[in-house]
Amino acid sequence: MAEATILTEDLPVKDPNSKAKLVTISGQLDESNVDNKAKEIYQVIDATPGKLSLIFDLAGLDYMNSKSIGYLTDWYGKITERGGKVLIAHAKPNIKDILQVVGLTQLIQMFESLDEAKTVVLGTSAETPAAAVPTQTPTQAPTMTQPPSQPETFKLN
Amino acid sequence: MENQNEKPTRISITLPGNAYFMSGIRDFTLTLIKNTTNFAEKWAFRLQSVVDELCNNAIEYGSGENEDILVTFVHSKEQYVDIIVEDTGTGKNKMTAAEMNKLLEERRNENYKFTGIRGRGLAKIVAEWTDEIEFTDKEGGGLKVRIRKYLKDPRYKSGLPESTPTHLVLNV
Repeated sequence: MAEATILTEDLPVKDPNSKAKLVTISGQLDESNVDNKAKEIYQVIDATPGKLSLIFDLAGLDYMNSKSIGYLTDWYGKITERGGKVLIAHAKPNIKDILQVVGLTQLIQMFESLDEAKTVVLGTSAETPAAAVPTQTPTQAPTMTQPPSQPETFKLN
Repeated sequence: MENQNEKPTRISITLPGNAYFMSGIRDFTLTLIKNTTNFAEKWAFRLQSVVDELCNNAIEYGSGENEDILVTFVHSKEQYVDIIVEDTGTGKNKMTAAEMNKLLEERRNENYKFTGIRGRGLAKIVAEWTDEIEFTDKEGGGLKVRIRKYLKDPRYKSGLPESTPTHLVLNV
Protein backbone atom coordinates (compact mmCIF):
# COMPACT_ATOMS: atom_id res chain seq x y z
CA MET A 1 0.00 0.00 0.00
CA ALA A 2 1.28 3.43 -0.87
CA GLU A 3 2.11 5.81 1.94
CA ALA A 4 1.14 9.46 1.91
CA THR A 5 1.23 12.21 4.50
CA ILE A 6 -0.71 15.46 4.49
CA LEU A 7 0.20 18.30 6.82
CA THR A 8 -1.58 21.63 6.97
CA GLU A 9 -0.57 24.87 8.59
CA ASP A 10 -2.06 28.35 8.69
CA LEU A 11 -0.36 31.12 6.80
CA PRO A 12 -0.50 34.71 8.04
CA VAL A 13 -2.81 36.73 5.82
CA LYS A 14 -3.19 40.50 6.08
CA ASP A 15 -6.81 40.50 4.93
CA PRO A 16 -8.97 39.68 7.99
CA ASN A 17 -11.70 38.32 5.71
CA SER A 18 -9.60 35.61 4.19
CA LYS A 19 -7.49 32.69 5.28
CA ALA A 20 -4.66 30.77 3.73
CA LYS A 21 -3.15 27.40 4.46
CA LEU A 22 -0.08 25.56 3.39
CA VAL A 23 -0.83 21.93 2.55
CA THR A 24 2.27 19.75 2.38
CA ILE A 25 1.75 16.39 0.69
CA SER A 26 4.47 13.77 0.63
CA GLY A 27 4.68 10.14 -0.43
CA GLN A 28 2.49 8.60 -3.10
CA LEU A 29 -1.19 9.21 -3.81
CA ASP A 30 -2.74 6.25 -5.58
CA GLU A 31 -5.88 4.15 -5.66
CA SER A 32 -5.03 2.48 -2.36
CA ASN A 33 -5.04 5.66 -0.28
CA VAL A 34 -6.30 8.66 -2.21
CA ASP A 35 -9.94 8.49 -1.11
CA ASN A 36 -8.99 8.55 2.55
CA LYS A 37 -6.35 11.22 2.11
CA ALA A 38 -8.71 13.41 0.12
CA LYS A 39 -11.08 13.50 3.09
CA GLU A 40 -8.42 15.38 5.05
CA ILE A 41 -8.40 18.17 2.49
CA TYR A 42 -12.20 18.31 2.30
CA GLN A 43 -12.25 18.67 6.09
CA VAL A 44 -9.89 21.64 5.86
CA ILE A 45 -12.04 23.27 3.18
CA ASP A 46 -15.31 22.60 4.99
CA ALA A 47 -13.95 23.81 8.32
CA THR A 48 -12.90 27.16 6.86
CA PRO A 49 -15.90 29.12 5.64
CA GLY A 50 -15.36 32.16 3.46
CA LYS A 51 -12.39 32.99 1.33
CA LEU A 52 -9.68 30.39 1.66
CA SER A 53 -6.52 29.94 -0.35
CA LEU A 54 -4.43 26.79 -0.41
CA ILE A 55 -0.81 26.38 -1.38
CA PHE A 56 0.10 22.78 -2.06
CA ASP A 57 3.77 22.10 -1.36
CA LEU A 58 4.44 18.96 -3.40
CA ALA A 59 8.21 18.75 -2.91
CA GLY A 60 7.85 15.39 -1.21
CA LEU A 61 5.17 13.96 -3.50
CA ASP A 62 6.58 11.16 -5.64
CA TYR A 63 3.45 9.94 -7.41
CA MET A 64 -0.13 10.97 -8.03
CA ASN A 65 -2.72 9.10 -10.09
CA SER A 66 -5.59 10.38 -12.17
CA LYS A 67 -8.06 10.19 -9.32
CA SER A 68 -5.89 12.40 -7.11
CA ILE A 69 -5.82 14.89 -9.98
CA GLY A 70 -9.62 14.65 -10.08
CA TYR A 71 -9.74 15.56 -6.41
CA LEU A 72 -7.35 18.45 -6.94
CA THR A 73 -9.65 19.75 -9.67
CA ASP A 74 -12.62 19.50 -7.31
CA TRP A 75 -10.78 21.36 -4.54
CA TYR A 76 -9.86 24.04 -7.05
CA GLY A 77 -13.54 24.48 -7.93
CA LYS A 78 -14.65 24.70 -4.31
CA ILE A 79 -11.91 27.17 -3.36
CA THR A 80 -12.19 29.48 -6.34
CA GLU A 81 -15.98 29.74 -6.18
CA ARG A 82 -15.42 31.27 -2.73
CA GLY A 83 -12.87 33.73 -4.11
CA GLY A 84 -9.77 31.89 -2.97
CA LYS A 85 -6.73 30.67 -4.83
CA VAL A 86 -5.10 27.30 -5.28
CA LEU A 87 -1.40 27.21 -6.05
CA ILE A 88 1.17 24.48 -6.35
CA ALA A 89 4.80 24.84 -5.34
CA HIS A 90 7.88 22.69 -5.58
CA ALA A 91 6.42 19.87 -7.65
CA LYS A 92 8.84 17.31 -9.00
CA PRO A 93 9.23 17.02 -12.80
CA ASN A 94 7.10 13.87 -13.06
CA ILE A 95 4.32 15.52 -11.04
CA LYS A 96 4.42 18.65 -13.18
CA ASP A 97 4.38 16.42 -16.24
CA ILE A 98 1.21 14.58 -15.25
CA LEU A 99 -0.56 17.76 -14.14
CA GLN A 100 0.29 19.25 -17.49
CA VAL A 101 -0.92 16.33 -19.57
CA VAL A 102 -4.35 16.39 -17.93
CA GLY A 103 -4.59 20.13 -18.40
CA LEU A 104 -4.52 21.18 -14.78
CA THR A 105 -1.66 23.61 -15.30
CA GLN A 106 -4.09 25.69 -17.32
CA LEU A 107 -6.13 26.18 -14.15
CA ILE A 108 -3.64 26.12 -11.33
CA GLN A 109 -0.51 28.23 -11.21
CA MET A 110 2.67 26.36 -10.43
CA PHE A 111 5.73 27.82 -8.76
CA GLU A 112 9.27 26.58 -8.41
CA SER A 113 9.55 27.94 -4.90
CA LEU A 114 7.27 28.16 -1.93
CA ASP A 115 8.21 31.79 -1.38
CA GLU A 116 6.91 32.75 -4.81
CA ALA A 117 3.59 31.03 -4.12
CA LYS A 118 3.32 32.65 -0.70
CA THR A 119 3.93 36.04 -2.25
CA VAL A 120 0.89 35.59 -4.47
CA VAL A 121 -1.42 34.28 -1.75
CA LEU A 122 -0.36 36.65 0.99
CA GLY A 123 -1.17 39.61 -1.20
CA THR A 124 2.15 41.37 -1.44
CA SER A 125 3.94 42.51 -4.54
CA ALA A 126 4.37 39.94 -7.27
CA GLU A 127 0.98 38.59 -8.21
CA THR A 128 1.94 38.31 -11.84
CA PRO A 129 1.99 35.47 -14.30
CA ALA A 130 5.73 35.99 -14.64
CA ALA A 131 6.17 34.49 -11.20
CA ALA A 132 4.61 31.27 -12.33
CA VAL A 133 6.40 28.45 -14.01
CA PRO A 134 5.62 28.65 -17.70
CA THR A 135 3.61 25.69 -18.87
CA GLN A 136 3.01 24.11 -22.21
CA THR A 137 -0.28 23.37 -23.89
CA PRO A 138 -1.36 20.08 -22.35
CA THR A 139 -3.23 18.84 -25.34
CA GLN A 140 -0.04 18.72 -27.37
CA ALA A 141 1.72 15.43 -26.89
CA PRO A 142 5.51 15.47 -26.75
CA THR A 143 7.18 15.42 -30.10
CA MET A 144 10.72 15.03 -31.30
CA THR A 145 11.11 18.79 -31.58
CA GLN A 146 9.97 19.53 -28.04
CA PRO A 147 12.63 21.06 -25.80
CA PRO A 148 13.90 18.80 -23.03
CA SER A 149 11.83 18.80 -19.90
CA GLN A 150 14.69 19.15 -17.46
CA PRO A 151 15.19 22.03 -17.45
CA GLU A 152 12.00 22.92 -19.27
CA THR A 153 12.83 26.54 -19.80
CA PHE A 154 15.53 29.02 -19.03
CA LYS A 155 14.48 32.29 -17.54
CA LEU A 156 16.63 35.32 -18.09
CA ASN A 157 16.32 38.07 -15.55
CA MET B 1 23.83 -1.49 -34.83
CA GLU B 2 21.24 -3.45 -32.92
CA ASN B 3 19.78 -6.54 -34.46
CA GLN B 4 16.21 -5.41 -35.10
CA ASN B 5 15.04 -8.99 -35.53
CA GLU B 6 16.07 -9.87 -31.99
CA LYS B 7 13.31 -11.63 -30.12
CA PRO B 8 11.45 -9.25 -27.82
CA THR B 9 11.82 -9.68 -24.08
CA ARG B 10 8.53 -10.68 -22.48
CA ILE B 11 7.78 -10.41 -18.77
CA SER B 12 4.40 -11.33 -17.30
CA ILE B 13 3.27 -10.61 -13.75
CA THR B 14 0.08 -11.84 -12.16
CA LEU B 15 -1.30 -9.54 -9.48
CA PRO B 16 -4.18 -9.86 -7.06
CA GLY B 17 -6.91 -7.46 -8.11
CA ASN B 18 -6.30 -5.10 -5.24
CA ALA B 19 -4.95 -1.56 -5.31
CA TYR B 20 -2.72 -2.49 -2.38
CA PHE B 21 -0.25 -4.01 -4.85
CA MET B 22 -0.11 -1.15 -7.31
CA SER B 23 2.92 0.56 -5.78
CA GLY B 24 4.90 -2.62 -6.44
CA ILE B 25 4.01 -2.81 -10.12
CA ARG B 26 4.78 0.89 -10.47
CA ASP B 27 8.23 0.42 -8.97
CA PHE B 28 8.82 -2.52 -11.28
CA THR B 29 7.77 -0.52 -14.33
CA LEU B 30 10.01 2.40 -13.41
CA THR B 31 13.02 0.15 -12.92
CA LEU B 32 12.35 -1.88 -16.05
CA ILE B 33 12.03 1.11 -18.35
CA LYS B 34 14.99 2.94 -16.80
CA ASN B 35 17.36 0.00 -16.75
CA THR B 36 16.50 -2.14 -19.75
CA THR B 37 15.33 0.29 -22.42
CA ASN B 38 16.70 3.42 -24.04
CA PHE B 39 13.67 5.49 -23.21
CA ALA B 40 14.43 8.80 -21.51
CA GLU B 41 13.79 8.89 -17.79
CA LYS B 42 10.62 10.92 -18.15
CA TRP B 43 9.13 8.10 -20.19
CA ALA B 44 9.84 5.69 -17.35
CA PHE B 45 7.66 7.89 -15.13
CA ARG B 46 5.04 8.27 -17.83
CA LEU B 47 4.79 4.55 -18.52
CA GLN B 48 4.62 3.98 -14.77
CA SER B 49 1.47 6.10 -14.75
CA VAL B 50 0.12 4.29 -17.82
CA VAL B 51 0.52 0.91 -16.11
CA ASP B 52 -1.06 2.19 -12.91
CA GLU B 53 -4.10 3.60 -14.72
CA LEU B 54 -4.63 0.46 -16.81
CA CYS B 55 -4.34 -1.79 -13.76
CA ASN B 56 -6.71 0.35 -11.75
CA ASN B 57 -9.27 0.14 -14.54
CA ALA B 58 -8.86 -3.63 -14.72
CA ILE B 59 -9.36 -3.93 -10.97
CA GLU B 60 -12.32 -1.59 -10.80
CA TYR B 61 -14.19 -2.77 -13.88
CA GLY B 62 -12.86 -6.05 -15.20
CA SER B 63 -11.98 -8.45 -12.41
CA GLY B 64 -14.19 -9.54 -9.56
CA GLU B 65 -13.15 -9.71 -5.94
CA ASN B 66 -10.28 -12.14 -5.30
CA GLU B 67 -9.60 -12.34 -9.04
CA ASP B 68 -6.21 -11.63 -10.60
CA ILE B 69 -5.06 -9.30 -13.31
CA LEU B 70 -2.21 -10.11 -15.68
CA VAL B 71 0.34 -7.47 -16.67
CA THR B 72 2.75 -8.23 -19.51
CA PHE B 73 5.67 -6.13 -20.69
CA VAL B 74 7.10 -6.77 -24.15
CA HIS B 75 10.28 -4.93 -24.99
CA SER B 76 11.65 -5.03 -28.49
CA LYS B 77 15.09 -3.53 -28.24
CA GLU B 78 15.46 -0.17 -29.97
CA GLN B 79 11.88 -0.54 -31.21
CA TYR B 80 9.04 -0.31 -28.72
CA VAL B 81 7.56 -1.33 -25.41
CA ASP B 82 4.17 -2.99 -25.26
CA ILE B 83 2.23 -3.11 -22.01
CA ILE B 84 -0.69 -5.50 -21.89
CA VAL B 85 -3.17 -5.62 -19.02
CA GLU B 86 -5.75 -8.40 -18.89
CA ASP B 87 -8.68 -8.85 -16.54
CA THR B 88 -10.94 -11.84 -16.04
CA GLY B 89 -14.21 -10.23 -17.03
CA THR B 90 -15.78 -11.19 -13.73
CA GLY B 91 -16.19 -7.66 -12.41
CA LYS B 92 -19.59 -6.12 -11.83
CA ASN B 93 -18.78 -3.19 -14.09
CA LYS B 94 -17.05 -5.07 -16.88
CA MET B 95 -16.95 -3.50 -20.30
CA THR B 96 -16.42 -4.89 -23.77
CA ALA B 97 -13.74 -3.80 -26.21
CA ALA B 98 -16.38 -2.01 -28.29
CA GLU B 99 -17.63 -0.14 -25.23
CA MET B 100 -14.08 0.84 -24.29
CA ASN B 101 -13.36 2.12 -27.79
CA LYS B 102 -16.55 4.19 -27.70
CA LEU B 103 -15.76 5.57 -24.25
CA LEU B 104 -12.24 6.50 -25.28
CA GLU B 105 -13.45 8.17 -28.44
CA GLU B 106 -15.96 10.25 -26.45
CA ARG B 107 -13.42 11.32 -23.90
CA ARG B 108 -10.77 12.12 -26.50
CA ASN B 109 -13.12 14.60 -28.10
CA GLU B 110 -11.76 18.07 -27.45
CA ASN B 111 -15.20 19.26 -26.36
CA TYR B 112 -15.58 16.56 -23.71
CA LYS B 113 -15.76 18.05 -20.22
CA PHE B 114 -14.32 16.08 -17.35
CA THR B 115 -16.55 16.99 -14.45
CA GLY B 116 -16.11 14.18 -11.94
CA ILE B 117 -13.25 12.89 -9.86
CA ARG B 118 -12.69 9.98 -12.22
CA GLY B 119 -12.31 9.47 -15.93
CA ARG B 120 -9.06 11.19 -16.84
CA GLY B 121 -6.78 8.16 -16.64
CA LEU B 122 -7.49 6.50 -19.96
CA ALA B 123 -8.19 9.53 -22.09
CA LYS B 124 -5.78 12.07 -20.65
CA ILE B 125 -2.88 9.94 -19.46
CA VAL B 126 -2.86 6.59 -21.26
CA ALA B 127 -3.93 7.96 -24.63
CA GLU B 128 -1.65 10.99 -24.49
CA TRP B 129 1.44 9.06 -23.54
CA THR B 130 1.17 6.08 -25.87
CA ASP B 131 1.26 5.59 -29.63
CA GLU B 132 -1.27 2.75 -29.91
CA ILE B 133 -4.13 1.49 -27.78
CA GLU B 134 -5.96 -1.74 -28.60
CA PHE B 135 -8.87 -3.30 -26.74
CA THR B 136 -9.62 -6.97 -27.31
CA ASP B 137 -12.35 -9.20 -25.91
CA LYS B 138 -10.71 -12.38 -24.62
CA GLU B 139 -12.16 -15.69 -25.74
CA GLY B 140 -12.71 -16.96 -22.25
CA GLY B 141 -14.12 -13.66 -21.04
CA GLY B 142 -12.44 -10.50 -19.93
CA LEU B 143 -10.74 -7.60 -21.60
CA LYS B 144 -7.19 -7.25 -22.87
CA VAL B 145 -5.73 -3.77 -23.27
CA ARG B 146 -2.49 -3.37 -25.17
CA ILE B 147 -0.62 -0.12 -25.47
CA ARG B 148 2.52 0.46 -27.47
CA LYS B 149 5.13 3.16 -27.09
CA TYR B 150 7.71 3.38 -29.85
CA LEU B 151 11.22 4.30 -28.94
CA LYS B 152 12.20 6.30 -31.96
CA ASP B 153 10.06 5.55 -34.97
CA PRO B 154 9.90 9.00 -36.58
CA ARG B 155 6.28 8.38 -37.60
CA TYR B 156 5.33 8.44 -33.94
CA LYS B 157 5.86 10.62 -30.91
CA SER B 158 9.42 10.33 -29.76
CA GLY B 159 10.60 8.53 -26.68
CA LEU B 160 14.17 9.30 -27.54
CA PRO B 161 16.59 10.05 -24.75
CA GLU B 162 16.81 13.74 -24.04
CA SER B 163 19.74 15.57 -25.54
CA THR B 164 21.46 18.73 -24.51
CA PRO B 165 19.19 21.72 -25.08
CA THR B 166 19.97 23.44 -28.35
CA HIS B 167 17.88 26.53 -27.82
CA LEU B 168 16.56 28.76 -25.10
CA VAL B 169 12.98 29.77 -24.39
CA LEU B 170 12.97 33.36 -23.29
CA ASN B 171 10.29 34.77 -21.05
CA VAL B 172 10.09 38.44 -21.70
